Amino acid sequence: MKLAALIRKEFHRFFHDPRLIVTMLLPGLLIFALYSILGEVIYTDEQETYEYKAYLMGSSEAVTLIDAAFEGAGSDLEWLPAEDEETARAEVEKGNAAALIVFSENFDAYGEGANVAIYYKMDDDASYQFYALVSAVLTEYGMPFAIVSNPIGEENLGMTVMRSVLPLLLVCFIFSACMSVTLESVAGEKERGTLSTVLVTSVKRSHVALGKVVPLSCISMLGALSSFLGVAFSMPKLMGVSFGFLGSYGFASYALMFLLILSVPPLIVALISVFSTLSRSMKEASAYTSALMIVSMVVSLIASFVPAMGNWALCVPVLNAVVTLQTILDGGVPVWQTFVSMGANVLYTALLVYLMTRLLSSERIMFGK
Amino acid sequence: MNEEIVRADGLKKTFTLSKKQQKIERTGDTRRVAVNGLSFSAYRGEIYGLLGPNGAGKTTTLRMLATLIRPDAGDALICGSSIVRDPAKVRDKIGFLTSELKLEGFFTPSYLFNFFGEMHGVPKDVLEVRKQELFSRFGIDKFAEVQVKNLSTGMLQKVSLVISIVHDPEVLIFDEPTNGLDVLTAKVVTDFLTELKGMGKSILLSTHIFSLVEKLCDRVGVLIDGRLAAEGNLEEVARGDLEGSFFDLYHTIKGETV
Repeated sequence: MKLAALIRKEFHRFFHDPRLIVTMLLPGLLIFALYSILGEVIYTDEQETYEYKAYLMGSSEAVTLIDAAFEGAGSDLEWLPAEDEETARAEVEKGNAAALIVFSENFDAYGEGANVAIYYKMDDDASYQFYALVSAVLTEYGMPFAIVSNPIGEENLGMTVMRSVLPLLLVCFIFSACMSVTLESVAGEKERGTLSTVLVTSVKRSHVALGKVVPLSCISMLGALSSFLGVAFSMPKLMGVSFGFLGSYGFASYALMFLLILSVPPLIVALISVFSTLSRSMKEASAYTSALMIVSMVVSLIASFVPAMGNWALCVPVLNAVVTLQTILDGGVPVWQTFVSMGANVLYTALLVYLMTRLLSSERIMFGK
Repeated sequence: MNEEIVRADGLKKTFTLSKKQQKIERTGDTRRVAVNGLSFSAYRGEIYGLLGPNGAGKTTTLRMLATLIRPDAGDALICGSSIVRDPAKVRDKIGFLTSELKLEGFFTPSYLFNFFGEMHGVPKDVLEVRKQELFSRFGIDKFAEVQVKNLSTGMLQKVSLVISIVHDPEVLIFDEPTNGLDVLTAKVVTDFLTELKGMGKSILLSTHIFSLVEKLCDRVGVLIDGRLAAEGNLEEVARGDLEGSFFDLYHTIKGETV
């Protein structure tokens, strides 16, 4: 009851203050606008729609759906008959066709071993877009059957950079979002003496700590989501790659990504809350938090460009999120890795909330001159 | 015999002085005893005043009683609950008003009244009745939906007062309740303290204003250097001239003439 009232108060404070909402959502909009404009200027001659030619082996009713999807997207698609798989693959590699799709014999019967193989060229934007759209249609088509992705060649530099940078940017945006709301709500309230007013009531200190961490984490997630969407929708334009590569991940990948991202804001909010409680003023808390942000940026940066860090990284907060996100973006479905990272983050968050509770009970911290 | 509501027994509080504080206070001591073995009792339906100069330990005593800080030694019972062993229970029995505790400027008096009512576990229907009653008594009803940051100092003090008693506590602890108030608001506050006393509430207040003690307090404790230098009803302590008696006492203890 008391905890619910504390949580409601934080939400009320945020959602009834248009300035806070704007400052939380504005970065995402600005990032989208700036990156998109920059991308438009750089890649002004690029065509967004393609005329596709693709090889088809085997048959399935799904082909009609694929045709409809391309027609809906405003692209022309011509199926080429493939004599043998090897020749068709060579044509794809040469760039004479966007892809080769091979349906297994019993595909529409969903029998044992039913699968569809898609061969596409990684460094060809049109080929990649084709692959993304076809795999999306097939995912919708129904289960059970396996989609076997067969990328040919190396992916282009833009995509490599994006896969490396996206986790780093995500951590950066989550941290910024957490920082802006938590500093004001915890350090600001302590400095203004309004936190002490709550401590004079019989509410438990642990509820005061949770009453900050829970709503501020939710609010931070909104801010981080805004910034992330800004990046996700504008970076492809900026880097000159197709947005389709984000569409190439399945439901499982997105679910893992979502769960993982969900565990990061509470950890960062709890961390900033602890330092805010320790600080005498917002200025002091801001200095500590900036240092923390630099540390997480450096950790994320190292993780972004150092391959195969080892399982120990999963126990390090922030680093575990970056490493796991990279595995997901590289096409993996790291279930246990995601859950270990999440578990570690939840554990660290709980420990930080406990620490904050102790700090709130300390008269030297709360009422010391 | 009057019912004893507050009993402080040997309260002691020592603070560590930082290098900066030592420099300001021109002392080499690393620790300062703010309250030293303070014992007193307050009874139901009386106003007990702690009178003393700045730094005498008045605020520290009230903060200990309000459970914001723990005594190094001693204990106090408020309505039978110990401030050391059961601080959460004590907090539900007291209302504490001090300039140190602030209200968030973003919220309205109405929102904060409900919020602090919930913090004290007051049922919603009781809260609504109490809000109407107190808001209308203090003229807050017209400003109930105005953000606290836009209220005048006087209105803000009224809102703070009303919120400190949202849960209808048995004991009210007020630290310098009329400090910084204009004469009209100060009168509203002192009249209300008298009214609360009439309702059987026990009130502890700290002040350095002699006239306030003379006007309000049934009994008074004179605090000098963290010790109770004198205690009794107004006639016993003042002996016809509270201000004169206080300075005589101060001179006797400190050896200084003001």
